[in-house]
Amino acid sequence: MIRVVLPYHLRTLAQSDAEVQIAVAGAVTICSVLDALETHYPMLRGTIRDHVTQQRRPFLRFFACGEDFSLESSDIELPPKIVSGEEPFLIIGAIAGG
Amino acid sequence: MKSTGTVNIVPSITGVVDAEAGRDMQLSREEMLRYSRHLLIPEVGMTGQKKLKAAKVLIIGAGGLGSPAGMYLAAAGVGTIGLVDFDVVDVTNLQRQLLHSTDDIGRSKLDSARETLAGINPHIAIETYEERLTSKNALNIFAGYDVIVDGTDNFPTRYLVNDACVLLGKPNVYGSILRFDGQVSVFDARRGPCYRCLYPAPPPPGLVPSCAEGGVLGILPGIIGTLQALEVLKLILGEGEPLIGRFILFDALKFAFRELKLRKDPACPVCGQAPTIHELIDYEQFCGVKSPLAAEAIDEQTEITVEQLKMRIDRGDNLCVLDVREPHEYDIANIGAQLIPLSELPKRFHEIDSSKEIIVHCKVGSRSARAAEFLRKKGFQKVKNLVGGIDAWSERIDARVPHY
Repeated sequence: MIRVVLPYHLRTLAQSDAEVQIAVAGAVTICSVLDALETHYPMLRGTIRDHVTQQRRPFLRFFACGEDFSLESSDIELPPKIVSGEEPFLIIGAIAGG
Repeated sequence: MKSTGTVNIVPSITGVVDAEAGRDMQLSREEMLRYSRHLLIPEVGMTGQKKLKAAKVLIIGAGGLGSPAGMYLAAAGVGTIGLVDFDVVDVTNLQRQLLHSTDDIGRSKLDSARETLAGINPHIAIETYEERLTSKNALNIFAGYDVIVDGTDNFPTRYLVNDACVLLGKPNVYGSILRFDGQVSVFDARRGPCYRCLYPAPPPPGLVPSCAEGGVLGILPGIIGTLQALEVLKLILGEGEPLIGRFILFDALKFAFRELKLRKDPACPVCGQAPTIHELIDYEQFCGVKSPLAAEAIDEQTEITVEQLKMRIDRGDNLCVLDVREPHEYDIANIGAQLIPLSELPKRFHEIDSSKEIIVHCKVGSRSARAAEFLRKKGFQKVKNLVGGIDAWSERIDARVPHY
């Protein structure tokens, strides 16, 4: 199972905990993880990636094992620790509270 | 020399304060005693303490983050602390904003903050700017300071602070909070990424709640604001490894800190290779929010004030008042409206009587604006957003409705 950590506003939308676990078939890439996430939580469609272009929303970032994957190709395979579930795939959102 | 198999090349870091300015400073006997625990640490010592005295730090916002940041920086002996805020102390601030106390309710935050900081340390200078930070005044105010601390509570000001820091070449010690989550970093475009490298554009208005809407654990700004103060001190002293190019996430519920690496975006519009932003812009427009002055004017087609709603309810108009807050908020305060939380609206909008005019409300009007927009897209013809939400209703129509 792949662990995915969601920012607060997406947790509310998905009515989920901060961390969700999803099964991903085949290669574990940013694209396949997000596809599986949207299949499991259809209300997240269009919130992480643009409906039409499938581009990441600019106020969200993707991180894996401490590294920024936001500007990587969505077909790049994620690190083994993400694949094994040892580390979560992080979707980080901008917050502005002070 | 014993080989360890690895060689670490650590770039030397100079402090943000001119070394000569620090050398010119003198500490009185009283100050030496006050800062004695600092003087005992070689990384601070007399040289470092003089640098702290010579330093000028500007804190944007005398609120949740600005409170611990300001108090610790004052105690540490930062010679000049500037504060920008235009608000007055409200009772709802006191759960986390330790610069202010119960007797300060209704006072200017800056008067209260000045008194608190002077009480902590009478040897420092406190400069206050009781005005809204704007594109017109930001560069002038920032110019006199070595480090800027971002403790604001909204996206337009965060982009304004970032851009002003990049344009002036000053470090921006960033912190932000929501509920149980905190974020900390040091954005210094001369040595690493800026805030826009991380988030080139803000979320649409109303998508990500503010602390006023979503809530915040009172202790969280204490932790995050203190970490900001720590980074300011390291920058001034030129000691340690600053959080430049590093992003810290704090999850208070799990008690987990996570460190993420940030990279400079070569395409960043303000600090990239071919910047397109060379001066401060209109940040309300950039973030898609109404300017504070325009916010008072309402769009009669899509918005309604609490006074207009009260009048229409009293005269018996056929209205459906829809509350899109969460059930736990409804339990705190409600005006008897139909409750469908915003997150459930896509599944439950068919429960709404489309023959009636629909007035949507939330706490302050952001979530309900999104809900109204959603309903219009679903074909509802007559939908209006209640400006100011139940907060405005409590304040201006019915004080029996609790304000939270």
